[in-house]
Amino acid sequence: MVVISSMMGPGIGEKDFVVEASRERVWRLIGKVIFSSLPGMEQVEILDENNFRALLRMKVLWVQLSAKLKGEMVDMAPPENFSVNLALEGLGGLLKMKQKVTFTVIPAEKGKTAVNCKATAEKMGILFRALLLGQAQRFARATFEAIEKRLKELA
Amino acid sequence: MNANVNEKWDMEFDVVVVGWGSAGTAAAVTVHDRGAKVLIIEKMPDGGGNTRICGGNIIIPKGREFIEYLDTLSFKTTEREIIETFVEHALKNGDWIREMGGDVQVFTPLEVAYPTMLAGAGFPHVRGAETVVKYNIKGTLQEGKPSQRLWKFLSGLVEKRRIEVLTLTPAKELIPNAQGEVIGVMAEREGKTISIKARRAVILTCGGFENDPMLKWDYMPVKPLMFLGTPGNTGDGIRMAQKIGGDLWHMTRLSCLIGFQAPGFEAAFWVSFLSEGFIFVDKYGRRFVNEAGIEIHEYYRELSHFEVEKMEFPRIPLWAIFDEQTRRRGALSRGTAGYNRDLYTWSLDNSVEIEKGWILKGKTATELASKISVDPRVLEETISRYNQYCQAGKDKDFDRPKEDLRALEPPLYAIQLWPALINTQGGPRRDKESRVLGPEGKPIPRLYAAGELGSIWGFLYQGACNIGEALVFGRIAGRNAAAEKPWS
Repeated sequence: MVVISSMMGPGIGEKDFVVEASRERVWRLIGKVIFSSLPGMEQVEILDENNFRALLRMKVLWVQLSAKLKGEMVDMAPPENFSVNLALEGLGGLLKMKQKVTFTVIPAEKGKTAVNCKATAEKMGILFRALLLGQAQRFARATFEAIEKRLKELA
Repeated sequence: MNANVNEKWDMEFDVVVVGWGSAGTAAAVTVHDRGAKVLIIEKMPDGGGNTRICGGNIIIPKGREFIEYLDTLSFKTTEREIIETFVEHALKNGDWIREMGGDVQVFTPLEVAYPTMLAGAGFPHVRGAETVVKYNIKGTLQEGKPSQRLWKFLSGLVEKRRIEVLTLTPAKELIPNAQGEVIGVMAEREGKTISIKARRAVILTCGGFENDPMLKWDYMPVKPLMFLGTPGNTGDGIRMAQKIGGDLWHMTRLSCLIGFQAPGFEAAFWVSFLSEGFIFVDKYGRRFVNEAGIEIHEYYRELSHFEVEKMEFPRIPLWAIFDEQTRRRGALSRGTAGYNRDLYTWSLDNSVEIEKGWILKGKTATELASKISVDPRVLEETISRYNQYCQAGKDKDFDRPKEDLRALEPPLYAIQLWPALINTQGGPRRDKESRVLGPEGKPIPRLYAAGELGSIWGFLYQGACNIGEALVFGRIAGRNAAAEKPWS
């Protein structure tokens, strides 16, 4: 189930799904799966254990845009949950957004694992809200769906 | 030479430490803090050796089960009592760092690269693996990479104590007296030979032989071997110890990644991938391994296959073949560690290295094969077969896990890779008290060693143990050297 939160609220997207694998396996897989599921992520720099930056290529209204993406892993609590603080900046600084993406991995019945992915906007410029909120929501949906698909394939 | 104890010495100290990395620092600081006068001599313009350019992680195990883990990994190449001593002291590595005014944090890497630097045990199936915890010096990105923070902390301990350090001063010979006790060091400084008296002891902490072609060719199980670490490690301590009767051990052991040897660079570049879209092929275009499953320090084991009929190592050099997504995903060499880290910044999309000809491009597998002198039919077949495995989600040849499979799509790229040493492990044999031993197992009086020079890692190597070991046996060597009674 994908829920796109109200435009007025801070939510960008949320998705819950169940994977037929143990929590330990899901936890082992999730980092690489997220990394490989982010569409258009290029020129990744691993800055240190918790920080990375990259170039994010995306299409907005048939126009190819690239934005600088900074990520920081926070609230790491293996093997249950972690969050990534993402800062996106494009069009020479005109477009800016900060969001927090949280992944929660909880044991479910019969050895399965429930996964919750949630993206929340923390700071969003007016121009971003006007032009790109819809894009951010579509991006979150596409990414979460890709993560679900890949995790289920690998389970 | 045997010293005439009445001859004139150029300098006089209680303890002389040869080589200034983590082991040398731990030894010198311990000697100093026990009230003895210590000198460090270092052949390079600056200290740090491999410590300054490594991954910067320090092992601090979380229990004594670590003894079982290391005992299994050692494959009986290191006496158990030495491993026990190591673990007892490694448990206190964090305490020592805090006593010295520093602090540590658990190493929690983004395990997204192929091959990846693991947070935990390199051999998770071995009993005791759960006790492996790597730490690094606490700090932020702005304060430097882990190894930079480590060296800043360690060199700061020396500076704070005003321990005398002579850089650009290579040690040349140990000086024994008639009783075989090591009583000093001959070194070179500003073009002159100087003699340095060591009233209590000499401690060798001058690293391995990564940059000595003859020693490498003779002892290493794969040939040729490039190196990623400091060019300063040329086996000096080995020759000095041998000359006065030191036994050697672990000379065939190494910690080895894969690297690209660029024209005009002394050291190789460590290469790894940020996307699953890559394979390794030998010089004939054949896959030979689960590319995603190699423990990063043990790469050479996969490359050491020797074909007697052809009299060659067919996997040296190997070719990494990768696709456009992998090319664009991130730099193949990212400055995590290695001597070239501060000398060259690899382009984020690898485009500069393509222009330089370091990375070769082919619109098709056939075109790429012609550029790397591989039979096009073999390379095409290899890639086609691999892509079929990706689609099926099962690598029938090498069992590469399905999460690490992604079909390669043209255009394709190739980079030539070599086994590339981080460090060697061999050198003078020593005991649990860090004393250098002769061939009959007797200590050479007043001579100690620690760190990468004759490390205790004799078979499989667990990451973060070289720095952990350097700190442990550096402290032990320093304590024992300071406790020696002065010979004059």
